[in-house]
Amino acid sequence: MLKKIRFIIALWVAKASRLALRMIGKPATCTPGIIALKLCPDFLAHIGTPQTLICVTGTNGKTIVSNLLGDVLRDCGYSVTNNSYGSNVQGGVASALLTDATLTGRSKKQFGVIEVDERSSIKVYSYITPDYLVCNNIMRDSLKRNAHPDFISYVINNKLTEKTKVILNSDDLICARLAPKSTDRTYFGVDVRKPESGDPENVRDVVYCPECGHRLDVDYIRYYHIGRMSCPECGLRSPDRDFTVTDVDVDAGTLTVAHDGVSEVYRLMNDNIINIYNSCTVITVLHKIGLTYEQISGAFDRLKIVATRYDRTTVGDVSITMQFAKGQNPSACGRAFSYVAGHSGERKSVLIMTDFQESDESESVCWLYDCDMSALADPTIREIVFAGPRCRDQKLRAIMAGVPEEKIKITDTPADGVDLIDVKNHSEIFILYQLYTIPAAARAKRRLIERVEAEK
Amino acid sequence: MKIEHLYGEVANFYGDPQNAVYLSQCDPDSEIIHTRLDSVPYFASERPDIILIGSMSEAMQRLAIKSLMPYKERIIELIDDGVVFLATGNAYEIFTERIEYVTEKITVDGLGLFPLTVKTDLFARYNGMVIGEADGMTITGFRSQFSFVYGDNSDFAFIKVERGIGINKQSKLEGVRRKNFIGTHLIGPILPLNPEFCEYVLRLAGSSACAAHKEAAMAAYDRRVAEFRDPKVKFD
Repeated sequence: MLKKIRFIIALWVAKASRLALRMIGKPATCTPGIIALKLCPDFLAHIGTPQTLICVTGTNGKTIVSNLLGDVLRDCGYSVTNNSYGSNVQGGVASALLTDATLTGRSKKQFGVIEVDERSSIKVYSYITPDYLVCNNIMRDSLKRNAHPDFISYVINNKLTEKTKVILNSDDLICARLAPKSTDRTYFGVDVRKPESGDPENVRDVVYCPECGHRLDVDYIRYYHIGRMSCPECGLRSPDRDFTVTDVDVDAGTLTVAHDGVSEVYRLMNDNIINIYNSCTVITVLHKIGLTYEQISGAFDRLKIVATRYDRTTVGDVSITMQFAKGQNPSACGRAFSYVAGHSGERKSVLIMTDFQESDESESVCWLYDCDMSALADPTIREIVFAGPRCRDQKLRAIMAGVPEEKIKITDTPADGVDLIDVKNHSEIFILYQLYTIPAAARAKRRLIERVEAEK
Repeated sequence: MKIEHLYGEVANFYGDPQNAVYLSQCDPDSEIIHTRLDSVPYFASERPDIILIGSMSEAMQRLAIKSLMPYKERIIELIDDGVVFLATGNAYEIFTERIEYVTEKITVDGLGLFPLTVKTDLFARYNGMVIGEADGMTITGFRSQFSFVYGDNSDFAFIKVERGIGINKQSKLEGVRRKNFIGTHLIGPILPLNPEFCEYVLRLAGSSACAAHKEAAMAAYDRRVAEFRDPKVKFD
């Protein structure tokens, strides 16, 4: 009884704090949850969850996937709780759930789509049992927080029970082995055979069989450890896919997904392989929770990837692409560099603003050396500007990866980077940015447009 | 110059393999020999000039110990013969007496080249930076680890720490040194991050090559040294 009273007090205080914060123009996406957890440490055990709770986790793509899931569900008329504009750690999860709860803590929504930071998994799943756990990939992330994929798998698995159904990427053997207690398992993947690199410069996190330790046979690697593999000793292999991307037609702007004996065509939101996996994840989840092809396809026709992750603008003859590249995350940045190199166009310039620093902090630059920068040596990339306090380290790393030194420009001040771009001689300009540099990147884009228009 | 890169297919966290890449760019005539975890090391029968091993997961660390244990006497012989070893991150723990994995509740014997022990706790991550002195050079580096080393390394420490910690939070002496064997919890590309130290390692191996891309490397290094000595900069 006392616990219930404490929970109700925490809920009301948190709701009041949310109201107050909103009145002064604050987003209140995390603080109310932090207050609730302070007053009632097991708040998540008491707060009601929507009828169907989907938790989205993994290294790269969880924000895009959870936002798309929420958008499609809303587009189809369902009520949804999510933390798309908030934090994905314990406080953010609590904030999202309490926001949509009644004064007694019951959920009013049909679906919950909650993005959960991998490191926070133990703190969330200790109290909440998701109906579905969705994971797109387990890759290398911030070495300070996430250490390595083995550790992250351990953290995610720690509190998950057999009651949770899992929807996992079959092409990622680390991800595919998550939640071993769960027997309701659905796998998705991409069967468009386009390995980008047979032997990436640095990273492949699955070389030996996680079951018996024997060296795995590799059918193909698409990038990093994303691909298909099997163990000749114990028979472990990448699981069969239930939902498969069988065709990507960039010209027609379509994506074909096969499942249960049918083949369905969807609008291709973005041709980056990461986003093809993201789209496939979303389509799989929506089918599993009972939506029809017509509902999903119709929503895909109307929606787009959240603009903070990707955006493309054309000014005269110059195209400006804004591409999110998570800082301190070698796999995400390596993918973004690869995307730029593989993009059409012969005269590309790239402004890299993935560097962020608090005034009283330094930060490890080791991740730069774990990041495959060899794509930046592509001859279609004529100019690279590193803007930020770690620009000298980025320059050295790029030179070591084979980028000619004369292509590289550096500045310590992120805001100045855009002025180093030669707008006259480049038709494709990319701005790569991270979470903390979104406002600076938006300003850079505006300044770039001004400069391009002035040149015209 | 022959550089043996041990277990790079798994001991490759935090950019550690770039030490081998950088050495090969310093001396374009050098040859990198990649030895996999399931194969016989080149050093078992030959004498490489430099042997490198980098950071790995805890599970792979246990496999690496298993793979190297049969060559313990050969490793001692090579160290005595002046072969350069550079073990970065948790790779150097392999050469201590014992590693206790607190979370998994396992204890594994190391190769026992140094009278030190290790405690690894997956729920106690430590991140920090180090600036210190080794053989007259200023070394800078980063650490990100689940483990600390315990014991007295005062007779064979690698770095006298100026800012940051040593083998554990109570220590100001980082890493180990035995002839040309250098082991340190500093992770990642310690050679490109410290071009002067890289040239020192090359000299130990008998090469007169200079640090590659020296101007760019020194610009980054000088900036880092200044930043690490700035009292306003937090260290962990």
